[in-house]
Amino acid sequence: MRFAGLVENEILKISRQRRFRVVVLILIALIGLIVFAQARGRDRFLGGKDWRVRTQERMANIQNWLRDGRMPASSQRWARFELGRLKYHLERDIDPEAISGPLFTRGFATASSYLLLPLLAIVFASDIVSAEFQGGTIKILLTRPVGRVRVLASKLVALMLAITLTTVFAALVAYAFGGIAYGYAGWGAPILTGFRIGGEAFDPAGVRSIALWKDTVLVFGLAWFAMLCVGAIGLLTSVLLRSTAAAMGSMLAALIAGTILPRLASQWEAQKFLFVTCLPLPDYYSGSPPPIPGLTIGLAAAVLAAWAAAALIAAFAVFARRDVLA
Amino acid sequence: MSSEAVVEAEPVLVAEHLTKRFGKREAVSDVSFTLHAGEVLGFLGPNGAGKTTTIRMLVGLAKPDAGRIHIRGLDLATDFRRAMTHVGSIVESPDLYRYLTGRENLMHFARMLPDGAEDRIESLADMVRMRERLDDRVSTYSLGMRQRLGIAQALLGNPDVLVLDEPANGLDPAGIREIRELVRHLAEDRGISVFVSSHLLSEIELMCDRVSIIHRGRTLASGPVHELLERFAGDRILVRAHPAPLAAERLAALGADEVEASANGELVSARLAPARVPEAMRELVGAGVDVYTLERPDSALEDAFLRITGGETV
Repeated sequence: MRFAGLVENEILKISRQRRFRVVVLILIALIGLIVFAQARGRDRFLGGKDWRVRTQERMANIQNWLRDGRMPASSQRWARFELGRLKYHLERDIDPEAISGPLFTRGFATASSYLLLPLLAIVFASDIVSAEFQGGTIKILLTRPVGRVRVLASKLVALMLAITLTTVFAALVAYAFGGIAYGYAGWGAPILTGFRIGGEAFDPAGVRSIALWKDTVLVFGLAWFAMLCVGAIGLLTSVLLRSTAAAMGSMLAALIAGTILPRLASQWEAQKFLFVTCLPLPDYYSGSPPPIPGLTIGLAAAVLAAWAAAALIAAFAVFARRDVLA
Repeated sequence: MSSEAVVEAEPVLVAEHLTKRFGKREAVSDVSFTLHAGEVLGFLGPNGAGKTTTIRMLVGLAKPDAGRIHIRGLDLATDFRRAMTHVGSIVESPDLYRYLTGRENLMHFARMLPDGAEDRIESLADMVRMRERLDDRVSTYSLGMRQRLGIAQALLGNPDVLVLDEPANGLDPAGIREIRELVRHLAEDRGISVFVSSHLLSEIELMCDRVSIIHRGRTLASGPVHELLERFAGDRILVRAHPAPLAAERLAALGADEVEASANGELVSARLAPARVPEAMRELVGAGVDVYTLERPDSALEDAFLRITGGETV
């Protein structure tokens, strides 16, 4: 009857289901593939030139595009931002395209925070309640002398543990594979972060240099936080839909819509209040140009937290009260 | 346990005026019954009569729109957790975690009970004859094995009340018999009160002390099984005798109704009150009729049940 026993039950169920092994395999296979593809493409792209020469050539290219004037407004914003970012790196004598095992690890967190990591959170969250309905085991689970709120709370804790473990595991796998390709050293190297666009121009006021290991911890922390929030929303869909496939499908559709929306409809500012738009926290933190004007790291995190809190309240309210009939 | 003793025993589960609506349809209307200590109460009704809905209310899966449920004096609506320490149940089908072993399932549910439940796993596994398969995955079990493991799960918390929803469904005759013997054993030797639903009258007749008949969400009749059988059961008898015409004649003379001798000679069908059957036997034998068998056809029981429920199937 102890709460720890309930959490132990939920962890047992997550770890014994096939999806747990699938997630582990997906991470290993995907990260391995990314490292392989990136390492091969990189040799061709860099062409053996000195990085300063290469960066200057790239800046010249961007300036030509800008002068050409046929770029859409959103791309112009990006171009100006990129120009500023490259210039800043040149001034600080830091190679913007540098790579190492640690840099790959950090880059993986940033790139996967849009889709891959939230997707893994959804894989766990979608079935955590719906599987009990589909398997009929909910009829035993909710007729034991344990309140429904405690049952769902134990599931939430187990879900958060699974998401945390997945984040740590993803980091370790990325570092392991990244190290094979680019070497394991370089945690102490400085990295520039905090780029912003102020109005239409590049704004260097927020830029600072930070040790890579610190930055990586921060970036993974942000990705983890975003995964937790997605997990909370996934928990609600799992409670509401009672079908794993339906819960996973709807969350997946939302995620994909979230990656498309900023590109297709960047003018629609209200989308900054959608949780999917706010997911890539690491990007908002390190300062890629935000797809939506006014969407800062603070706002994005607050929007995510608000969605997660509302989802949890709804999930608990529905789970505690609703009749179990099917 | 005899019905007289049952009436004296303490009530362990009391359902009063249970009503459940789905939209405008009343699935259960004003259903009441009392389960006493150590008795087996049958809950009989055709499919769709409201049995499962009632059971879901009994175990707290669904909230009644009206009415109360008390388990060992504890109100289920306000004291759910304490009330449920006294109840073990299988609702609809024995669904367990298929990807876990039998033992892992039992451990899982033991962790949801007060301390001590884990210590009962071995003896319960023995009782339901699952010890040898306990470390295999549930997905490899037959339905009968899952039903038995489900009963072990229901008994983990040492409950006073066992609620079984259609435990015979889908089992072969040997499996049905095993469940029946287990239920009688639990009631008679361990003093556990059992509430068991079924749509099969013969099942209820063999397993239960008392029965409550539900149809279209309402209780139609309730009482000791033998009383209800006498009250409602068909009084048709089948006599295999030689010579049949003489047997038919004597039965008619005794006042039996609808006496018919079959065309090919050996079988006589008639309606005669159960109390008068011994007299009829003496009369037939005395008249020099050779009686091979005298039986109440199984279909008569089903007929009675159909008559009570208005002959409707859903």
